Amino acid sequence: MATATAAIPMQRNPVLHRAAVIRHCIILFFCAIIILPLLWVLLLSIKSMPDSMRGNLWPRNFDFTHYGYVIEKIDTLPINLFNSVFVTGFTVVITCFCAVLAGYALVHLKFGGKAWIIAMLIASLYFPTRVVSIITIYGIQSDLGLINSTAGLILPYITLSLAVSILIMRSVFQLVPGELFDAAKIDGAGPWKCLWMVGLPLVRNGLVVIIIVNFVTAWGEYLLCSTLTNDQSARTVPVMLAHAAGGLGQWAWPRIAAVYVIVTAPGLIAFAFAQKLFFKGLMEGGIKA
Amino acid sequence: MKLTARMNAPSRPRSSEERAQWARANVWLFLLPALVFFVGYQVWPIIRVVWISFTDYQFLANEPANLVGFANYAEALTDPLMWAGLGRAALFTAMFLPGTIILPLLLAILVDRVRNQRVATVYRVIILIPAVIPSTLIFVLWKWMYNFQVGPINHFLVEVLGVFTIQTAPQWLGGTALTLPSIAIMEVWWGLGYHTVFFLAGLAAIPKELTEAARVDGANEWQIFWNVTLPALQPIMMILIVLRFGTSMAVIDEYLIFGGFDRESPTYTWTIFMYDQAFKTGLWRQGFAAAIGMIGAVFMMVFVGGLLYLFRRKG
Repeated sequence: MATATAAIPMQRNPVLHRAAVIRHCIILFFCAIIILPLLWVLLLSIKSMPDSMRGNLWPRNFDFTHYGYVIEKIDTLPINLFNSVFVTGFTVVITCFCAVLAGYALVHLKFGGKAWIIAMLIASLYFPTRVVSIITIYGIQSDLGLINSTAGLILPYITLSLAVSILIMRSVFQLVPGELFDAAKIDGAGPWKCLWMVGLPLVRNGLVVIIIVNFVTAWGEYLLCSTLTNDQSARTVPVMLAHAAGGLGQWAWPRIAAVYVIVTAPGLIAFAFAQKLFFKGLMEGGIKA
Repeated sequence: MKLTARMNAPSRPRSSEERAQWARANVWLFLLPALVFFVGYQVWPIIRVVWISFTDYQFLANEPANLVGFANYAEALTDPLMWAGLGRAALFTAMFLPGTIILPLLLAILVDRVRNQRVATVYRVIILIPAVIPSTLIFVLWKWMYNFQVGPINHFLVEVLGVFTIQTAPQWLGGTALTLPSIAIMEVWWGLGYHTVFFLAGLAAIPKELTEAARVDGANEWQIFWNVTLPALQPIMMILIVLRFGTSMAVIDEYLIFGGFDRESPTYTWTIFMYDQAFKTGLWRQGFAAAIGMIGAVFMMVFVGGLLYLFRRKG
């Protein structure tokens, strides 16, 4: 076997080399398809007004004032940005808290009914829960007086990725040997201390995965936000953008493109930094769940 | 229980029996936060949907709801819109599902063969980008890409390729015949990220010796793909097919953003029919909407169950 593996790199014949070139070309083609739309928006956000009205990709004049303009002149934008950060922040923190506790309990604590809970969580992934439940979630929020309330969105947002987060944390906790917790228990640590001191450091990668998954879900949520709120000032930026179409004044193309860049860039930059942990976590838990 | 725990606190380590009891009481504390939200905002709303689907409940009406038995179901099942809606959702699924499985599979196999680790990582990060862009921002991006006036797609077709003029350039969105394929293309682009990474994880799990041994035995790349790679990826592929079948049959946000509430539009699927009845027309007939939702869901679940059954026997 060793000789076979060693023999492969030796045969650098032209056919294999050409195959490698074609391979990289195809991959680069896909990479271009992924990146070009994003670059186009970035470019649109720094085009001058007349250039933005024409289809031409490369503008004759650049105009970098759109970013300053949208922050100052779209009066709801700071509120919408705050709404996005506020709702997403609370959703991510609460969901991750719930998922870590539940994932730990489902693997390392003994109790009856475990199989039922897991079956319910999996079933909720296959059932179109999000779509069908919108009818009655409106009623529940209305009873609680949370229609048109930004903070009220947090409650249904938490459940959007809760089941999948719990299942991811469960598969990550399955990789932590129970003996580690047993050892901590013998030293007198209770289950809470076991989780905090022993478990949490070992499931760090999985935690990064569910933080990113929940951030992406909450930041871009449309259905609940557009149904449960009426005022633009109660909504998040992506929902406000979905209703904006290129027009005049504050809704001119380069200006809404600038808003787009403002709400998309932070997530992408954060992902670029966390990608190593994210991929590790995905391999540990995301694939199985 | 609490009292014993507190009394014993100073004298640790406690006996294993007491510790087990303490842990059992705590289990529900660990599960409680998750269960409160899961039951409150997933299980309970669905139970309520089932309940009101048997009533004449109208949200904006002041009269209390009455039980009407299967009347809502009968009305929905005899409404041609219900069947058109299911058909449109199935049509979209047929357009979207093959592309979102085959392209990422191809891409994953190519990336898996990149020997240089650093280059492979760069590829993986770029490919995962669509997966970390929040959904609505994907829709907004593509809504602009398809735009008639400034969208680069029509610009490319008209100015660069010259296959259309400004007058004949295709109208991609807004309920035209091209709307469903346009959304399908966008969804495939979106899925390229996660799905490729899924397949890459599956490929990484295949022992390299297996493919090398097959190669030494004289198998060509095609044979290796069919006899080694594909069987190893089968479990991942099946999960993806079932999950994506589910999501594509129940698409709603995209149709709301790109299609609106025109009943003739190909985007007026059962989900939009349900939403229209529940939140747009008349007194918000939510009992009827609930029946539409349940019919759509049950219809889907039958197929999901069928797929799971089919795949279980093979895998």
